[in-house]
Amino acid sequence: MRTVVVGAGMAASRLAQELPDVTVLGDESHPPYNRILLSAVLEGTHSPDALAMPLPEHVDLRLGTRAVEIHRDEREVELADRSRVPYDRLVLATGSIPTLPPIRGLVRMDGRLHEKVHAFRTLDDCHRLDAAVAHARNAVVVGGGLLGLQVARALSIRGLATEVVEGGEHLLRSQVDARAGAILGRDLKRLGTTVYTGARAVRLDDRGLTLDNGYTLETDLVVLTAGGRPSTALARRAGLDVRRGIVVDHHLRTSDERIHAIGDCAQHGDQVTGFVPPAWEQAGLLARHLAGEDVTYDGSRTVARLRATDLDVAVLGDPERAEGQVVEVTNPVVGSHRKLVVRDGVIVAATLVGDLSRIGQITQHYDRGTVLGAREPGDLLMGERTAGPVALPDDAEVCACAGVSAGRVRACSSLDDVRATTRATTGCGGCAPAVRQLLATRTLEGTRR
Amino acid sequence: MKTHCPYCSLQCGMDLERVGRALEVRPWPEFPVNEGALCRKGWTATGLRGHRERLTSPLVRDRATGELRAAGWDEALDLVGARLRGLRSSYGADAVAVFGGGGLTNEKAYQLGKLARVALGTSQVDYNGRWCMSSAASAANRAFGVDRGLPFPLADIEHTDVLVLVGSNLAETMPPAARHLDRLRDHGGHVVVIDPRRTPTADRADTFLQPVPGTDLPIALGLLHLLDAAGAVDEEFIESRTTGWDDVRRAAAAWWPERVERVTGVEAAQLRRLGTLLADAEKVTILTARGAEQHAQGTDTVLAWIDVALALGMPGRANAGYGCLTGQGNGQGGREHGQKADQLPGYRMIDDPAAREHVARVWGVPAETLPGKGRSAYELLDALGTDGGPKALLVFGSNIVVSAPNATHVRSRLDDLDLLVVADIVLSETAALADVVLPVTQWAEETGTMTNLEGRVILRQQAVEPPEGVRSDLDVMAGIAARVGSPVEFSADPEEVFAELGRASAGGRADYSEITYDRIREEHGVFWAGPRLFADAFAHDDGLARFVAVEHRGPAEPVDPAYPLHLTTGRVLAQYQSGAQTRRVRELPDDGPFVELHPMLARRIGAYDGEPVVVTTRRGELKAPARVVDTIRPDTVFVPFHWVGTNRLTNDALDPSSRMPEFKVCACAVTA
Repeated sequence: MRTVVVGAGMAASRLAQELPDVTVLGDESHPPYNRILLSAVLEGTHSPDALAMPLPEHVDLRLGTRAVEIHRDEREVELADRSRVPYDRLVLATGSIPTLPPIRGLVRMDGRLHEKVHAFRTLDDCHRLDAAVAHARNAVVVGGGLLGLQVARALSIRGLATEVVEGGEHLLRSQVDARAGAILGRDLKRLGTTVYTGARAVRLDDRGLTLDNGYTLETDLVVLTAGGRPSTALARRAGLDVRRGIVVDHHLRTSDERIHAIGDCAQHGDQVTGFVPPAWEQAGLLARHLAGEDVTYDGSRTVARLRATDLDVAVLGDPERAEGQVVEVTNPVVGSHRKLVVRDGVIVAATLVGDLSRIGQITQHYDRGTVLGAREPGDLLMGERTAGPVALPDDAEVCACAGVSAGRVRACSSLDDVRATTRATTGCGGCAPAVRQLLATRTLEGTRR
Repeated sequence: MKTHCPYCSLQCGMDLERVGRALEVRPWPEFPVNEGALCRKGWTATGLRGHRERLTSPLVRDRATGELRAAGWDEALDLVGARLRGLRSSYGADAVAVFGGGGLTNEKAYQLGKLARVALGTSQVDYNGRWCMSSAASAANRAFGVDRGLPFPLADIEHTDVLVLVGSNLAETMPPAARHLDRLRDHGGHVVVIDPRRTPTADRADTFLQPVPGTDLPIALGLLHLLDAAGAVDEEFIESRTTGWDDVRRAAAAWWPERVERVTGVEAAQLRRLGTLLADAEKVTILTARGAEQHAQGTDTVLAWIDVALALGMPGRANAGYGCLTGQGNGQGGREHGQKADQLPGYRMIDDPAAREHVARVWGVPAETLPGKGRSAYELLDALGTDGGPKALLVFGSNIVVSAPNATHVRSRLDDLDLLVVADIVLSETAALADVVLPVTQWAEETGTMTNLEGRVILRQQAVEPPEGVRSDLDVMAGIAARVGSPVEFSADPEEVFAELGRASAGGRADYSEITYDRIREEHGVFWAGPRLFADAFAHDDGLARFVAVEHRGPAEPVDPAYPLHLTTGRVLAQYQSGAQTRRVRELPDDGPFVELHPMLARRIGAYDGEPVVVTTRRGELKAPARVVDTIRPDTVFVPFHWVGTNRLTNDALDPSSRMPEFKVCACAVTA
């Protein structure tokens, strides 16, 4: 059975490496790479050589190829060069395409972007921006979402005076609430990045980028990160059921039973994910389904983590829309906001900003649907308690190797005496500090009792 | 009399001295591994001498009463011989199985393999070492072409820069070894411990990672990702001394820190700090132990950590590299000399015609009479008493019903045997089920060699006369061999057997032919193949090490709403393995099993410290007192395995390569 995958992004390559007989059509010229690490490459913390995720030899990978039409009756995909590729199963993994904000002057007369303007989605985008950074002093990032903040931090770390323009009332508005957004804004400011919220860029010209509040930001670079939408044009033209994304069922099947869709382009129920882990979950599940296993997809739990130096953000599920009781701790003094949404004892969503402690545990509970006790959500949000020093009772074991109690150590006159009469400290040696402490406070302890 | 401790793989040197009728343990400061230090197990090692539960006469199950009764040696051995011959002629040679142990001396382990292959002619021989370090063994063979737990002396770790302990609680399981950690830190080195529990070992570390049980593998992939991203891999080493890096690199590209965090519960920032620490260090030593290895993906987990060591260019470098901290006293030697289903002495493979030819010549039998590969330990037990499975089992040095996973099932297999013969020093839980029990000598009552975790062959010397009525395991094997019509005679003299072992192992991967008792005495032990391996070449024919790309599959039994917690098992300081010995030593505390759980979990289920809780898995349940501690993950409970019951809970899912059961993680429920 021949499977053809349209797209060669993260979801597509994950699927392809699981399938025996598969053709992958990718419109970029690079072999598959880890797209989500591009901002780390820009930041300089990830070597561009370490991005590659090459496919196994058996995969028929065709790069620089664009699919323009699906001929469902003939079961063929037509390419830009008019050639056709037959399939038994077709998988659409076309991802998303960045939306261009309505800024005058963004697109030149010839249809290309203004020379200062950069998108940030592909490896080519990343290389181009990386090259431009060397000659720039300042930059404006349009969009205050996860990608926008990552790019802003990267540019700032590269030494550019960076500003962020966000049309919504606060940063990360599709993920977190206003208080979390405000904390992030302050964090960025502390790190030297100015944030304009509730402001839209309206015009780009020689003076700079003008906002609808009247400010004009002089800038060498404008980076567009203001969201994307599922790439559905191919599916739409083929007459498949498309709403926000390409509609799929619990087998990730579109309205044509021979065509599947996974990743950012697909819509399952109300969910269009936009993250890699659910896309990989879908890819893994579809591979098993295509291999004949009886498996079904019933949605993904998402964990969004901001990958930017010195900004701590995790968003589990959809905390602003999830139903449940909210347990939260906000500490504006240190700049942290931690919120759990709990339903029937289960964490159904969470926001952690500025303090990620216990994130590993919280994520485990969220992913596994652990039913927690009444006090646990509160306990999970509080920091670790540090216990004060406690005087050891005489029957407390000090040396596990030799089985020696505090009382027996206290009865000794010196470290040599301890070694000779009890053998404490002569095994693993771990109790030596405790023994010295006991000997030093011996008189005091004795008189106190 | 200079000898070594009867317990773990450190094989601490000690001096046994007769004081009147008593036998006392004294330090032996000159022996380099422990320099006179011992833990309480070692100090009390003579506690079984003259113990009232010591067996001094063979026992035979009386047909009329069903009870065990005392019998003479000839009666017992004749009975065993006759029954074995009968079963063999009815069902074929493979109807008789042999089960050994990693605590047996090299001589016994060697002789047991020979007893199976030559005297009994059965392929069905394996041992409890499968449940010890077998995953590390199969990984090291694959990566380096040889399996020697530590390819360097343990003391070398004192001079490394960063020591990473993956799933090792050596401060409790081999306390004198922890002295090396303290010295390393005194020298400015950095200790990293990775464990779901903050153990006493973790308390002595500079960095502590506390992952979900069964997720050590993605931590290694995450480190490989970070090292590659930072350009911190040793390109020159990879180019000149290894193959396979590209596949590993591709696998690691998919494991960025936040993804690792979601799977392992280890914070991305913590992983990044560890990555930076490793990237900046000149010498890194990575050691794995049971925590990383006792999984259905144990081999892959070790391979992933070896990949980290190779990416950093460490193996073969002084005071750096990868090693496994073997567990059982003779875990190393026990896997080298042929009590393993697929091996012949000298770490030769039984399906290699040249190996068969060589060993058969030493044994004085035609090579074609040697059987082929048999079942691995758990598969062997699982087949007992079934159609086509063995009908009789001889057990030496193992307390199966306590130490095997899914123990209730294993017990039912033993019940279906026609004949169970157990050689032991006391009436262990397994011996109590036997048809014939053969009382044997122990430790200070006999002489023999062990190979410690460093590959150092050491000599345990007889210090006292055995009690009247017991025989050495070698003597018992000779007796059985004679009664089943062995084509060759079996020696019962350890030094003679050792010399024969040397000839049989000559030219093999673990070649003992140059080692003698006298050399061991003079040199404080002798390393096979020398103290340090890999400086110039790895043991594969081309001299190169192999990177092996692995993917994370996760525990065989994931948690779910019915069994929402992870169960992990392990040891406590004062007990050893199935406890057959240590539970009988009066001076060692024996409070029975307990269930360690976190205060958050305790509050959730209404458990109180010291009060009983019930742990349930798909295979069984255990009631034991709760120990409420904040040193364990809130989603995990821990139960020590020295007592009957714990292994009724554990999962028998096996590693595809090492056939190691998944002792270290399964799904459980806990109620107060």
